[in-house]
Amino acid sequence: MTTAQEVRAAARIAEIEAALGDPADPANPVGQARLLEADEAGELLAAGEKALEALNLNAEFVPVELGGRLERIDTLVRVLRQVFRRDVALGLGYGVTSFMAAVNVWTEGDERQQARLAEILLDGGRASVAYHELAHGNDFVRNEFEARVQPDGSFVLHGAKQVINNAARADAWLLFSRTDDAPGSRSHSVLMVERAGVDPERVTVLPRYTTVGVRGCQLAGLDFTEAPVAAEALVGSLGQGVELALRSFQITRSAVPGMALGGADAALRTVVSFALGRRLYRRSVMEIPHARATLGNAFLDLLISDSLSLVGTRAVHLLPEETSVYASAVKYLVPKLLQETMYELSIVLGARFYVRDGEFGGFQKNVRDLPVLSLGHAGSAACQATIIPQLPRLARRAWFQDAPAPAELFQPRTDLPAIPFRRLALASGKDSLSASLVAAVDELPDGSPEEVAVQSLALRLMDELRQIQEQSLTLSLEDRTALASPASFALADRYTVVLAGAAVLGVWREARADGGDPFLADPAWAAAALDRLVRRLGYQPAALPASCAERVHQELLRRFEEHRSFDLYDCPLAG
Amino acid sequence: MTDTTTTVTTSSAQQHTAESLSVWLVDRIAVYLKRSSDQIDATVPLAEYGLDSVAALSLCGDIEEDFDLVLEPTVAWDYPTIEALAAHILEELSTQAGAA
Repeated sequence: MTTAQEVRAAARIAEIEAALGDPADPANPVGQARLLEADEAGELLAAGEKALEALNLNAEFVPVELGGRLERIDTLVRVLRQVFRRDVALGLGYGVTSFMAAVNVWTEGDERQQARLAEILLDGGRASVAYHELAHGNDFVRNEFEARVQPDGSFVLHGAKQVINNAARADAWLLFSRTDDAPGSRSHSVLMVERAGVDPERVTVLPRYTTVGVRGCQLAGLDFTEAPVAAEALVGSLGQGVELALRSFQITRSAVPGMALGGADAALRTVVSFALGRRLYRRSVMEIPHARATLGNAFLDLLISDSLSLVGTRAVHLLPEETSVYASAVKYLVPKLLQETMYELSIVLGARFYVRDGEFGGFQKNVRDLPVLSLGHAGSAACQATIIPQLPRLARRAWFQDAPAPAELFQPRTDLPAIPFRRLALASGKDSLSASLVAAVDELPDGSPEEVAVQSLALRLMDELRQIQEQSLTLSLEDRTALASPASFALADRYTVVLAGAAVLGVWREARADGGDPFLADPAWAAAALDRLVRRLGYQPAALPASCAERVHQELLRRFEEHRSFDLYDCPLAG
Repeated sequence: MTDTTTTVTTSSAQQHTAESLSVWLVDRIAVYLKRSSDQIDATVPLAEYGLDSVAALSLCGDIEEDFDLVLEPTVAWDYPTIEALAAHILEELSTQAGAA
């Protein structure tokens, strides 16, 4: 059954695809050739921004109740993926920055702030999120930028924020500010400050940063000198900045990596096209076993990434008390998988991966653009550091005890309730995603060789969870902080791999029960994906039936030829 | 200041005082810092010792585990020193024992 939410999502994607057109068409004003030129010039493609404005893309970031289109985080990811597919810089620079800023206001802002920000965005304006101070990195509790509280409740802004996307052209800034001199987690607050409300004499835009990738993004700093702003700028309560940040991060960390999947989709498409067209050793590159396996594995990595991303974003709606860990797992593992995939694909592409223009020029751009996902917003290590202190508690109270997640968590096209911004918990004491893996193990079918493979790989992952549990129980106190030993970070890494496996298994089982998508319902991809994850953990499982890789390969070719996306949605694309 | 002679009996029949809780916390924090307990000052904010915000959340889990108490996860943010935290735990123990 196709629901109203699904109809809206599919129609919106079709609308965006139609407006942005075939990336490979040289006459397309927002095609790859123009995007590459803009990248070389260090600009966002003006025609691209104009097209997104005409589509009113900003409406995606504004909740439906406030007049926008935002009703589901997984849908937001799916829609933005079409923009990222063409240009990661445009996706971040036109839009996602505004979303990252806005989430703070949707979470804790009052009615007036929410209405005002919705108005700014729906009018095509931008918001910037100013958390970062170069001196403190992800250790943002040490941030020094001040909003000095005045006796009448108003503030005086003083100090600098750096590397802020769209700092110079945003209409509103969300400023993470020190409002108390005391150390600790109650000394910061978030302020929403409109550019128009600040004396221009008292704020300077610092010089733009030049970067390796996303060259079009306008990253700059802001330097305030004793700039007064009204008491109404405060978002939420005084001293609640860290708490608000940790809540907002759960939504943005779970959402942004899945959007970037679009960039990897484009790169895989480029390399499939190359492998089918180029002839070496009197055969096409696609007939060379190494190349063929690499491309199949890249497709599997996209499916794994999308499964984890799906679960992370749907958990925001369905399991808001648990998202702290899942969001960090998505933000940690997905960018890492995608970057590794890009490296493997570059080997198949060979010397063409080094070419900056023409048919394959988009590939090197994605190689440079995608790593920003592991850097911006929350670094990989910061995400692991969010997971590590929660492991002992999960080990004691959650794993092998919790009830499994609701089936809807794994169903890409099923309706979701509204985003419960205020129910997101700071730390999680439950894990129903891994409970779904444990519960599934006893019920898995074992009729076909592919099903047997899935079953034995799922068992291996469950065993891994058991080992992670044992090791988490013995984590010493100092190994639970950001200064933990490398072994703690490795433990967090392994746990995210298990969560990814639980997501894949859940997606396959639900697709099998539903029967709507014959490929997702087939155990072949699930076995091949779980095999990749189990090998990632360092194990050497039994060889898979050859039919698994073959099924994945045929699906990859079909989607390439029919211009459909390499993710869980098999979505029709404009070229 | 909390009267350190106040004692609270929990369901596990253990007797806690502000002093015993303080000792327990100092021991925990000392391990975080890899220092000896006598180098930890109960009046210095934990953040000054490098206890980051998320690790502070996990301290709440330790307290819950050892004292069979349910606390706000942000308890170590709101009561940022060992002295303040011990006083708060004592208060919570007596409230929850009274409610039981």
